[in-house]
Formats: sequence, structure tokens, C-alpha cells
Amino acid sequence: MTHDRHTETDGGATIDDEFLEPVVVDESEMGLPPMTSVKRWLLTTNHKDVGILYLVTSLFFFVFAGILALLIRLQLWSPGEGILSAVAYNQTVSAHGLLMVFWFISPLAFGFANYVVPLQIGAKDLAFPRLNALSYWLYLFSGLLFLVSFFQGGTLDGGWTMYAPLNIATYTPNIGATTVVLALILFTIGITMSSVNFLTTIHRMRAEGMTLMRLPLFSMSILLTVWMMLFAFAALLAALLILTSDRLLGTSYFAADAGGSILWAHLFWFFGHPEVYIVFFPALGVMAEVFQTFTGRRLVGRKWFVASMVLVAVQSFMVWMHHMFLTSINLPVKTLFMATTIGISLPFDLMVFALIYTLVKGRVRFTTPFLFAFGALVLFILGGITGVFLGAVVLDYEFRGTYWVVAHFHYVMVGGATALFGAIYYWFPKITGRMYDEFLGKVHFAMYFVGFNLLYFPMFLAWETPRRVYEYDIGLTPWHRLATIGAFLLGASFLVMFYNLYRSLSVGESAPANPWEYATTAEWAVSSPPPLENFPGRPSYATGMLSFLTASGTPAVSGGGRTDGGVADAHRLDTQSAHDAHAHHDSHASPWPVVIALGAFLALLGLSALKQGAFPEGVVGMVYGGTALFGSVVLALSLVQFGRESFHTSEPDVAERWPFAGVERTKLGVWIFLASDVVLFGAFIGSYIFIRVAAGWMGWEPVPHDPVPGLVNTYLLLTSSFSVVLALVAAQKRNRTWLVATLSLTFLLGVAFLVNKGLEWVELFHEGVTFSSGVQASTFYLTTGLHAVHVILGLLILGFLIARAVGGAYLDDERPVEYFGLYWHFVDIVWLFLFPLFYIL
Amino acid sequence: MTSTKLYAVIYVVLFVMATAQVLVEFAGLSYWLAFGVILALSAVKALLVAGYYQHLLFEPRSISYLLVVGLLAAVGLTLAAAYSIS
Repeated sequence: MTHDRHTETDGGATIDDEFLEPVVVDESEMGLPPMTSVKRWLLTTNHKDVGILYLVTSLFFFVFAGILALLIRLQLWSPGEGILSAVAYNQTVSAHGLLMVFWFISPLAFGFANYVVPLQIGAKDLAFPRLNALSYWLYLFSGLLFLVSFFQGGTLDGGWTMYAPLNIATYTPNIGATTVVLALILFTIGITMSSVNFLTTIHRMRAEGMTLMRLPLFSMSILLTVWMMLFAFAALLAALLILTSDRLLGTSYFAADAGGSILWAHLFWFFGHPEVYIVFFPALGVMAEVFQTFTGRRLVGRKWFVASMVLVAVQSFMVWMHHMFLTSINLPVKTLFMATTIGISLPFDLMVFALIYTLVKGRVRFTTPFLFAFGALVLFILGGITGVFLGAVVLDYEFRGTYWVVAHFHYVMVGGATALFGAIYYWFPKITGRMYDEFLGKVHFAMYFVGFNLLYFPMFLAWETPRRVYEYDIGLTPWHRLATIGAFLLGASFLVMFYNLYRSLSVGESAPANPWEYATTAEWAVSSPPPLENFPGRPSYATGMLSFLTASGTPAVSGGGRTDGGVADAHRLDTQSAHDAHAHHDSHASPWPVVIALGAFLALLGLSALKQGAFPEGVVGMVYGGTALFGSVVLALSLVQFGRESFHTSEPDVAERWPFAGVERTKLGVWIFLASDVVLFGAFIGSYIFIRVAAGWMGWEPVPHDPVPGLVNTYLLLTSSFSVVLALVAAQKRNRTWLVATLSLTFLLGVAFLVNKGLEWVELFHEGVTFSSGVQASTFYLTTGLHAVHVILGLLILGFLIARAVGGAYLDDERPVEYFGLYWHFVDIVWLFLFPLFYIL
Repeated sequence: MTSTKLYAVIYVVLFVMATAQVLVEFAGLSYWLAFGVILALSAVKALLVAGYYQHLLFEPRSISYLLVVGLLAAVGLTLAAAYSIS
């Protein structure tokens, strides 16, 4: 490559802001109220708006969970009971951890991902903008559900890892504790949609010439993050659904004497360790991006940096048992996981050196974003090294459950968050069109960095303090006091940040398209803030530099070359792009995402009071039951409206789509979703196998005495798979009668499956085999129950399809029938394994 | 149309194999041999459904890899977890 320095970058080019007058498109014509209206924020599906919503909401949860942290530190001013009771302390510690990990760090990163990734890859929006809005609203309402839990007799007090058996209703009986689990489920559903959405977007909608290797590093980090999220959160969802069933219906997985608590640890940490990198990768992407911008040079060893990230993403799924060194798992497996854990530190070493070397080779400009990114690197190095101690089995015997662990993971997680705080400053001018105050930014950093180390470093020195409790050796008091002072300094630093950002919104200098002189990614090639549909024409990197093409494909503006005609071109382009927008009429607003999330919120809130399958007696039970019912109705109606709404989005005609060229957008989305469902069912089946191994494989008899009802159900599902295939053929042949007939037959077969299953269950209940009859019955009911829920969901979609098919739909476009079939066949395939595992073997 | 015929043949094969699974159970084989045969039959059925009904055979290979990755994650979790307590 012999490009000059500016073009040899992340597919970018130097930016010439004279071209970059905002494209004036009347947003109200696209169904979007102005930004000053509350209505806009309820309706919007635009990725930049949704990004802002994520950023603001995550900062709200940050402040909330931060106040909880200050309460913890106040309590630890001296050992023993202080301002908080023992139970309140446990709740504070648990809620602080859960809220920071789930509702703050990742959502903050995804605020940026929403805002920046489509801009960086050259897309107008995400692949499924309405689904994206829905993900956000599920996130917000899941957080609200968590907050409600504080008022239901107290929130969860079992620690953020929710270890079994502490997580079951016997030990954490508050309704609030159940609500937290349900909130996590809602959150995970939103996350899964988000993963599907980002994966489809990044794999299908990259601008021409934007190959995966050229992907800007922040977008690359997000791509790998969502890949990890897709599989990791499916395992968490399995764990949470099983826990919910234990708490609400009275199944007894995690109470099982043999293997119950270890099962939770396996499921949780199979998710939990990738989660560390899910949280950290976006921060790594920000560091790389900010280092490039403020050293004025390309990342040293960029290719190897990317390769290392890919390696870590894969390896992250092979280290989870290092969280379980003090459980009863056997020594060989501990040794194996010690080795894989040391192994995962190697690619990180490479990344750290790449970042350091970039500093050495470049000319550093000490702006606020750079300081935060640099601080993050320093903190991460400390956090990483102290983590290697914990990866060694023998040392972990000593360190586990102490403040060494607390200090280590705060250096890593909050170290990562440090880069994300830098990202706030880095992209603030882009998002708001205003510059922040550089001096106050540096004051924030100074207070933050000193406060951080004052807070967390003493924890290494006072490492003998036991984790999660407020008792400690009196001799460690000075270190804890130092930490408390650090905590308040850290907290105060954010007052400076909020003041700075709030004031800058109105009085900050207005920001040019690219305020950073050297920036290489495409978000800096458009105005600050960018127009609704992002680009003045179709972005293309075909020549190795960013240029914007008109609809006909002729170059309209090149990001790099400054010509006399440039300004005039830009004007012509504005008209052109406004014209294009009118021709395509992409939708940008939908009322249904927020209503769906509200319905789900109410339904789960109502369900939270369920115990052993029944609501409490009296008025309280009626209120909860009513709320659940009302929420379900709202949810169902809004989902139907969501399906009926005409919402148009266009896919670019020309795009980089490796490795999914030839797979249409929605089809790819369905397949990616099914891949996560494979892990969900896999984790359920795996849990069954694990519990059965723990209980003794051969001593375990199948719960149903007779395989024949199961065999009949196998016949029914196989036949329904065949009929849905015939439906697709009928749609392709444009034969409406056959289409409706075969879809209806599928529906009837599905109903017959459920009736047969229902009869079987009723008979078992009569024999006294209920959900709570022991772990054997639990695994049977819950695993086949999850499958039945999939059948029910399929039938609901099918009912919707039939209603539309009667009206003549799908004859011109049979794809919805095809995609429904993909799901239905998947449910069939799962049964092909459940049948022998639960009825025969 | 040949594709309809192909789908019908596959349907019959699936039906027969499901029946065979139950028959294997009563064939008096040793437990682990029967276990292997029955799960192998399930796997073959799953591959037929995925390959033809979900037409994965005719899609870009990357989709199949995607699902294999999910499957590997689930199987890896199951085997490693089960081994850890053995």
C-alpha cells in the first residue's frame, strides 16, 4: 500500500468541512416531529435519536447505581453496621452491581454504537430501525422494572451473580427479587434483538469498498461485541428462564442437591465471562479510535490488533470455569481452564502494546477524550495484570471472595468505562453540534483519575477484606477511609462533567463537521449533527477514499479533493439527496415499540407476585393478576399493530455483504436469531443432561411412562413441517386457496400437538407428578414447556399469516411464509431431540 | 413439480425414522448402543429438515456455519459442564 498518510486509514479520508452544510430535509414530512417535542422521542426509529436515548438513559442508571456505590463506601467508613442494615447493604451491593453491569456500561457503549456505527459503515440507518427502537424501549422499561423492585418488599439481595441456591425463593423471598429476574429477562430480550439488528446491519449494509478488514476499529469492536452477545446472552436467558420457573412455578433446578448450584454457576459464567469482553470491547474500540485521532497516525499493527480481538472473542467462551475454582468441579478441568485463562491474556498483551506503540510513534495531542482513553489503558493494564493472579488456581484459593477480586474487576470494568467517558467528549461535538469546554473536561479527568485510583487501589492493599459484607479487620480501616474519600472525589468529578456538557449544549462554540483535524472515519465527513439520513448521496470507498455518489452512480462530492466547484456541487447534491429521500420515503417513526415495551413491563410486573404457580390471596393478588392480564392484552394488541403497520425501509442497492451476500436482509435476521435460539435450547438441554449426570444417569427414568404420546406429537410436528413447506410452494405458485389451506392445516396440527401435550400433562398432574415433584419432573416440564411456548408463539404468528393470506397476501411476495417456515422447522428440529431425550432414553 | 415430490419423500423418510426410534428402544440392544442409534437417527432427521425444508443446502454456506457455531457453543457448554462434575 503506497497511499499517502490520509487515505491509508479506516476507509476514511481527510475531511473538508466546506462541503458539509447540513442537508435540509423537512423531517416532519417523514413523520417525525421536531427534536424539541417529547413526541419525537417516543416515536423515533432513527438510529441517531435512539443512540441519544440510550446515552441519556444509561447515564441516568449510572447516577442511580453510583449513588448506591457511595452508600456502600459510607457504610465501609468503619467496619460493622452503619447507615445501612445488613439486608439493606446486601440489596445495595447487589443492585449496584447489576445496574452498573447491565443497565449502565453496555447501554452507554450501545448509545455510541447506535449513533456512530451506521455512520462509520456508510449506512442510512440500522437494518431494522423499528426493532432498534423496540430494543431501546425494552431496555428502558426493564430498568424501570428493576427500580420498581425496591418497592416490593426490597430488591434482590443475593449478589449480582445471583448464585444458587441463594437465588431461589426460599432464600430470597421478596417479590422484588423475582422482579429483578424478570427485569433481566426483559433486558435480555431487548439485547438479543439488538444483536440480531447490528449483525444484520454490519454484515449487509457496509458501503461499497468498506470490506470487513477496513471497518473502523470502533465498528469492528461493536461487530465482535454483538457476535459475543448473540451467543452469551442466550445462555443467560436460559439461566434466567429456569430461575424464573423455579421462583414462579416451583420447579426445583437450582435447589437440586446434586448439581443445582453448580448448574447455575456454569450457565451464569458461560455468559458472564464473555460479558466481561462484551463490556470491554467497545471501550477498546474507542481507545483505538481516539488514539488514532489524537496521535495523528494509524494504529500500529492494526491487522494484528483486529486479529487479537477476534481471538479474544472466540477464547472468551472457553474460560468460564475460572470463576468456579472454589466449587467442587474436578482438578483436571480447573487446570485446563487455568491454561485457557492464561491463554486469553496473550492477545490482550498484543493489543496493549499496539496501543502503546501508537503513542510512541505518533504526535500526541492531550485533549480530554485522549486523556480518558489513555487513562483507560493505564487502568486496564493494572486490572489485567491483577487478573492474571486470579487465573492461577492456587492463588485463587486465597484471593477468591476478597477485595482483591473487587479491586481487579473494577480496574477492568470501570477502566473500560473510562474510555467510554472519553467517548462522550469525543463524539459530543458530533452529536450536539457544540464543543464542550476543554478546561472543564481536563478538570473532570484529573478529578476522575485521582478519585479512581484513590478509590480502587487501596482495595488491593486491603485485599483481605471479605467481599459483599461490611465487616473487616479494624486494622484495614485507613485503606477503606481512603477509598471512601476517593469514591466521593470520583462522584464529584461527574458533577463537573454534567455541568460542562449541559452548559455547552447552549453556549458551546458550534462544532464543525470535524473538530479534531485528523480524523479518519466517516462520521466526521458529515455535518455536526448529521442530517436525518446521514449522507449527501451514496457513500463509496471503491476508490480507496470516501466519496459520495448520486443515485446514478456518478461522483458528486469527494470527501478528499478540494476543488473550486466543490461548494456548488454540494448544493446540487443537497437537492438531489432531498429528492431521493422523497422518492424512497423511508419511515422514521412508529408508535408501537414504546407501547409493546410498556405492555411487556406491565405483564412482567404482574407476574412477579406469582409463587408456586399462584398469585397471593386477596386484593394484592388481584391487583397483580389484573396488571399481568392488562399488560398481556396491551402487549398482544400492540404486537398485532406492529405487524400491520406499513413501515418502509430501503436496503442499499450496492453494499459490501461478506459473508452473507445472497441472503436477504430479513432472512439473515431470522437465521441469526435462530442461531441464538440454538444456544437457548442447547443450554436447556445441556442443563437437563448436567442435572441427570449429577443425579446418576442410569438411575433416571423418563417422566412419561409411555413414549406413544410423544411419538404421536413427533408425527404431528413432522406433518406440520411438511404442510408449511407445501404452503411455501403454494405461495410461489400464487395459489391462494392452497396457501390458506396448507397454512390452516399447519395451524391445526400445531393445535393438535398442544392438545395432546396438554392431555399428557393433565394425566401426569393427576398422578401427582407436578412441577415441584423434584428435579426429574422439573426438567421434563420445563424443557418441553419451553418448546411448547415456541409452538404457541409460532401459532400466533401463523394466525396472523393466515388472516393476511385470506386477504390475498404473500402471492406476490412469499418471503414471510418462507421465514415463518424457517422458525417452524427449527421448532420441529428441537422436538426431534426432545422426544428421544425425554421419552425414550 | 419435482420439488414437491422431493419434499414428500423426505416427509415419509422422517416419519419412518421417528417410528424406528421407538422400535430401537424395544429391540433389546444394550443401553448405550440404543442411545447412540436413537440420537444418530435424530441427527439425521434434523439434517434432513435443515438441509431441505429449511433449504440450507441451497443457501450460502455461511448460514450453515453460523448455526454450527451456535451448536458448538451449546454442545461445548454441555460436555464441559458434565465433565467438570465427573
